[in-house]
Amino acid sequence: MSAKWYLGTGVQNDVVISTSIHLVRNLSDFPFPHMLSLQDKLKVNTIIKNATDSLDNYNFNYLEMKTLSQYEVVSLAERHLVSPEFASSRDGRALLITEDEAVSVMLNEEDHIRFQVMYAAFSLDEAYRTANEIDNCLSDKLNFAFDDRIGYLTQDPTIIGTGMKASVVLHLPGLAAAMQIPKLISTVQKLGLTLRGSYGEGAAAKGDMFQLSNSITLGISEKAAIENLKSITLQIAAQERSAREEILKSNVTEDKIFRAYGTLKYARLLDTDEFMDLMSLVRLGAVKGIIKMDTAKIEGMMINMQPATISLSVDRPLDRNGRDALRAKRVREMLEM
Amino acid sequence: MLCQHCQKNEANMHMKRIINGSATEVHLCSDCARSLGYGDSFSGFGLGFSDLFRDLLGKGERTLSGNALRCSLCGKSFDDIVESGRVGCAECYSTFYDKLLPTLRKIHGKTTHQGKVPSAFENSHKTQQSKVEKLKADLKKAVEKEDFETAAKLRDEINYIVNGGAAK
Ligand SMILES: [Zn+2]
Ligand SMILES: [Zn+2]
Repeated sequence: MSAKWYLGTGVQNDVVISTSIHLVRNLSDFPFPHMLSLQDKLKVNTIIKNATDSLDNYNFNYLEMKTLSQYEVVSLAERHLVSPEFASSRDGRALLITEDEAVSVMLNEEDHIRFQVMYAAFSLDEAYRTANEIDNCLSDKLNFAFDDRIGYLTQDPTIIGTGMKASVVLHLPGLAAAMQIPKLISTVQKLGLTLRGSYGEGAAAKGDMFQLSNSITLGISEKAAIENLKSITLQIAAQERSAREEILKSNVTEDKIFRAYGTLKYARLLDTDEFMDLMSLVRLGAVKGIIKMDTAKIEGMMINMQPATISLSVDRPLDRNGRDALRAKRVREMLEM
Repeated sequence: MLCQHCQKNEANMHMKRIINGSATEVHLCSDCARSLGYGDSFSGFGLGFSDLFRDLLGKGERTLSGNALRCSLCGKSFDDIVESGRVGCAECYSTFYDKLLPTLRKIHGKTTHQGKVPSAFENSHKTQQSKVEKLKADLKKAVEKEDFETAAKLRDEINYIVNGGAAK
């Protein structure tokens, strides 16, 4: 089994957790999925699956969604490998996914093809290069729906044009503590970007994790959209660093970090929300050298301790108390290592 | 249905979310959805955008003749698209190009694709663009010379290409 993509490290990693490129493509000969019969959806799946066989550098596993349990599907969504929409209805849908989970291709979500490439840390150029290479290979085998005037044609008009969303996941405990997030959300909107909670939205955003992506796809090239995202990311990262300096001036934050570590190390029950809040503090402590811990390990824990994912690890549905107990146990084991 | 956040506006966005290990539907008005930062990796507005698209399309774009024309691939009329808030297929964009364009402009602020062109389209895309550039230059000259007959012909030709007449 190959190492998962999130175990990598890279530049700007104190603030930028991960990078992803999403591309949406449709076959020109078939109506969009919501207009297709089950039989036609399966036909589309087969056509696309056969086209991916030509991608020599990528070994995809092909999963028909209806063969998976509810927990398996929800866990895929918790790990951001499929969309919540994809997880909510499984008939006629399929997933192509690499062993390291860095590339996943949703078939017959709202569009025929929605694929994503994920990289650890701040790696927009690398992620786009990979996504573009896959797109080129597929495009040699498949007739993509494209219009000279308005670009790649998609079911969802908000992504027509390039059909590309580039995103970074940012850890913003400093700006969150300074109550700067709502202002940031409205500021980036004016710059053609969207900021949203990576685990839950608005007041429910967990672990101070936020996803920043381009919101406009028509009339802006992939390169321009990525450059724009890059420069805003660097600006936010700089703001976050000074906000961290500010909160770390007081020993209250240091105390919170050590208390968080202590709770994680000894708790017998940890619910998801509390776990995410504590992990955010621990990550802050780790990147500031206050406590010794590998950040890749933290990312792995955040992904693997989500409710359905933790149930999946024991292959049976757990109730809330069961999940919280198992999460606490796993976290203790991880921190012993 | 009222927005579950402000309890004031009509909820026009219905999005699937994963909450505590299961897929749940969230109902919000577009203002709240935006200020709370809802969306997903693939779209700024999030899936379930359809109501908003329907609202945008519905404003003045619906015509009495809307039912006469149907998409040759999926069979949808423009009224069907407005009704469902969903474009049926890629061909719909050609069939209802003029009617969809104002909505695309509202969403993106622009209406001309910049960026990647699939290899199969590369040649036609380039020739077409340079052809349009040349015609536009000729048109400008004709207008300057007050040769309105030629100008009208050139304008028709540009519109024909730009509206997909020579595409594919
Ligand atoms: Zn509202
Ligand atoms: Zn159609």
